[in-house]
Amino acid sequence: MRPRMTTLIGILTILFLVSPFVVVAGASLDTGNVFQIRFPPHGLSLARYAEIHSRYLYAFRTSLVLGLTTATVATATGLMAALGAMRGRLIAAEALLSFFRMPLQIPFVVTGAVYLQFYYQLVAMTGFNPMNSLLGLLLAHLFIVLPYTISAISAVVPRTDNALEEAAETLGATQWTTFWRITFPMLRPALLAGAFYAFIISFGDVPVSIFLVTPTNMTLPVLIFQDMRFDFQPSILAVSTLVSIISMVLIVGIQKLAGLDMVLPPNQRLS
Amino acid sequence: MANDIIGPSATLLPSMMSDKDDSAKQWRRLLWFPLTLSATLLIFPQLTFVTMSFHRDIGMGQVSADFTIANYVKILTDVFYLRAIWETTYLSACATFWAILLAFPTAYWIASIEGRVATLLLTLILASSLITVPIKLMGLNIILGPSGIVNRTLEALSVIRSPVALLNNEIGVLIGLVQYTVPILVLMLFAVVQTIPKYLEEAAYIHGASNTATFFQLIVPMAKQGILGACLLSFNMCMGAFTSPLILGGGRVLTLPVLIQQKIINDADYGLGAALSILLVCFVLLMNVVVGAYVMRDRRRRVNRPYGG
Repeated sequence: MRPRMTTLIGILTILFLVSPFVVVAGASLDTGNVFQIRFPPHGLSLARYAEIHSRYLYAFRTSLVLGLTTATVATATGLMAALGAMRGRLIAAEALLSFFRMPLQIPFVVTGAVYLQFYYQLVAMTGFNPMNSLLGLLLAHLFIVLPYTISAISAVVPRTDNALEEAAETLGATQWTTFWRITFPMLRPALLAGAFYAFIISFGDVPVSIFLVTPTNMTLPVLIFQDMRFDFQPSILAVSTLVSIISMVLIVGIQKLAGLDMVLPPNQRLS
Repeated sequence: MANDIIGPSATLLPSMMSDKDDSAKQWRRLLWFPLTLSATLLIFPQLTFVTMSFHRDIGMGQVSADFTIANYVKILTDVFYLRAIWETTYLSACATFWAILLAFPTAYWIASIEGRVATLLLTLILASSLITVPIKLMGLNIILGPSGIVNRTLEALSVIRSPVALLNNEIGVLIGLVQYTVPILVLMLFAVVQTIPKYLEEAAYIHGASNTATFFQLIVPMAKQGILGACLLSFNMCMGAFTSPLILGGGRVLTLPVLIQQKIINDADYGLGAALSILLVCFVLLMNVVVGAYVMRDRRRRVNRPYGG
């Protein structure tokens, strides 16, 4: 077939999308202690990786704990919501799912502002401040990721085979056994995909977290974001490269485990 | 609340259905936790926020006790804020235009190649949309800077004499917004293009249609609904985008999300920040309703005239 305009646009678009990461990774390998960013690098060295400050490691740990907790709670909640709405044979199941998707209509930056105000009010009224612990970030992150896990799981629940479950129960399996041996394995790809989205959104979030972080609860993306603006050091390039690599490994891993179809985002934001 | 949603459970044939009915009832019990959690996370914080927008700022992060619409009046009468609303809308519309222009052909191209290469490309696009935004912005900063690749290439090709400013202005923000939405749009439009049967395209070629004619007279019209949906999604994302306008606009391009963050974090003007946020959400919702109504009308018209005109 003749070369086409669409092929050209496609190749250029992919180069455009990938180039920022390539440039950051390339610049992170530059030699010397220069504060100027150079791409292509003038030499190769890992010096900037050795300079990574320990506060990035703390922030990484915070983001990791936050992301994993958010993903676990959101996936469990999503599973309950999806099973309850679909298996409960609700007449208003669709309306209920739209209710769960409502947070998608609110821009992230607004959610951040909303939760900050809410916590201030909570402190004023009860003296309890969720921002003293990770709870403050966790609640706001749950709010933004729940629509993703609920959509991902509820899209698959109707496809699971009810006949298999009935067969298991007829053969004398208890409800609990049926769930763990039959239902759960059928839902596993959807659960993985939901947990993956919850984790990666929570782990990478800036617009919500920037309102809610404190010096003791600093997430990695917000730290990178703030250092980039106010206190640029070449080692940020090294940190960013490592984060990109870890994210890439995670994306490929989930894709192998759950399948590409599961990992591609469903068009949730519209419905 | 849950009781309203959990509709009539009694069936007409209780004796036959009782078994299934019982199990449905048990499944429904699972809904209590998600419903309580979602409702709590949604209602209480938003309620506080909406209330806040109706109180005047009295300094030191305090708001007055009296109920007033002064914040809304101020935003809707002050040229500064009206300009910000216009700027956000204008940039979002431009970014949407460019994003579709790049994303649709890309989606079509990826759908036309199959196998491993397509999977690899989709993975790269997915990664570009999921890896945390600051890293992307850092890369764009290096690429678009005065001594960045773009400027050096253009200078080497003698297109320009001295570096052009691609950062800290609207061009930078526009490029950032396109970067932000294109990956999601490609993935979404890829799903749309895949639903167009291959034999239609083959039929067009057999009848002598050129590539261009097939693309514009068959593929694009078939994907029209999907493209409209993608436009809407892109517009929504851009209207709410915060990190790209802040970094690539260098604080000089004031879009609504940037202003909201400034009002709340820098100025501690909570009332005004809340009012700005609520106007932003309402404005975006309104746009969605208008476009949604147009799409529905279009769909109805097509049902009436299935072979188009």
